[in-house]
Amino acid sequence: MGMSTGGGSGGATPQINVTPLIDVLLVLLIIFMVITPLKPSRFEAKVPAEPKDQPQVNVKPNPLTLVVAINKETKGITLNNDPFGDVTDTDKLSSKLQQIFKERETNGVFRENTNEVEKTIFIKSPKSVRYGDVIKVIDAAKAAGAAPIGLQIDDLTQ
Amino acid sequence: MGMQIGGTNEFNSDINVTPMVDVMLVLLIIFMIVTPLLQQGVSVNLPRDMISPDEDGDIAKDTSVIVAIPDNSNFYIGKEQYPLDALGDVIKKRMEGKTPDKRIVYIKSGVDVDYGRVVQAIETIRKQDIDKIGLVADKKKGVTDPSKK
Repeated sequence: MGMSTGGGSGGATPQINVTPLIDVLLVLLIIFMVITPLKPSRFEAKVPAEPKDQPQVNVKPNPLTLVVAINKETKGITLNNDPFGDVTDTDKLSSKLQQIFKERETNGVFRENTNEVEKTIFIKSPKSVRYGDVIKVIDAAKAAGAAPIGLQIDDLTQ
Repeated sequence: MGMQIGGTNEFNSDINVTPMVDVMLVLLIIFMIVTPLLQQGVSVNLPRDMISPDEDGDIAKDTSVIVAIPDNSNFYIGKEQYPLDALGDVIKKRMEGKTPDKRIVYIKSGVDVDYGRVVQAIETIRKQDIDKIGLVADKKKGVTDPSKK
């Protein structure tokens, strides 16, 4: 630091000390580096669009449909009416779904008219269940590889 | 500044804390200013520590439509509170001119909200011909999604 300007006679040498400026800028840089990667995340869910007025014809029930339901009182989870743990412990459901999807992959069970493995899942829950519990079940299903995840919103019980 | 220790020695062994204090003060001020700005809309007790949600940068964009449900009695879009029947029109207006793949409404709901309230919001949304819903949740740090290998 300190550069001699001019000859010998002058008294004070006018210089800007840039060190604090650089300090502050570096700190700013670090702050933005830390803040930027905090990206929000979400689950994507599908809901059937509002039905049009056309009459429904020949709707075949899909035998591959997986419906996960939550019981209001016991907080138990059922998969196609078979009990699999409850909302506090979703590992059972997760591993069962993984097993089902794996079987379907090896047996080549495809969605109708496509060559994708059928991994559609529907979630049905009574209206008075906590949202936090429902999202836990969605998380477990998604972690097992289910996609798309559908939410049933008609004819729900209280 | 500068405290004289000892008598004769010419070396001064004090640590100069002034620049450090400067930097700390600046940090403090920056955080004070930035924190309220970062938060868009109302604060919601989002579900935390989820394993598998997908990251979606669009949620933070100004143009995306986010319905916030902080408790059982209120619906917000942005910072404005709307009654349930007005929600549909607002969403419709915000969705105008968006391409079909961008037609997604995000729902930020608190964990203690009844699922029925969320369903009411979803029902309103789907009446606007939108079939994609994003349920916003916080991802657990340092966990990779087991469904994506």
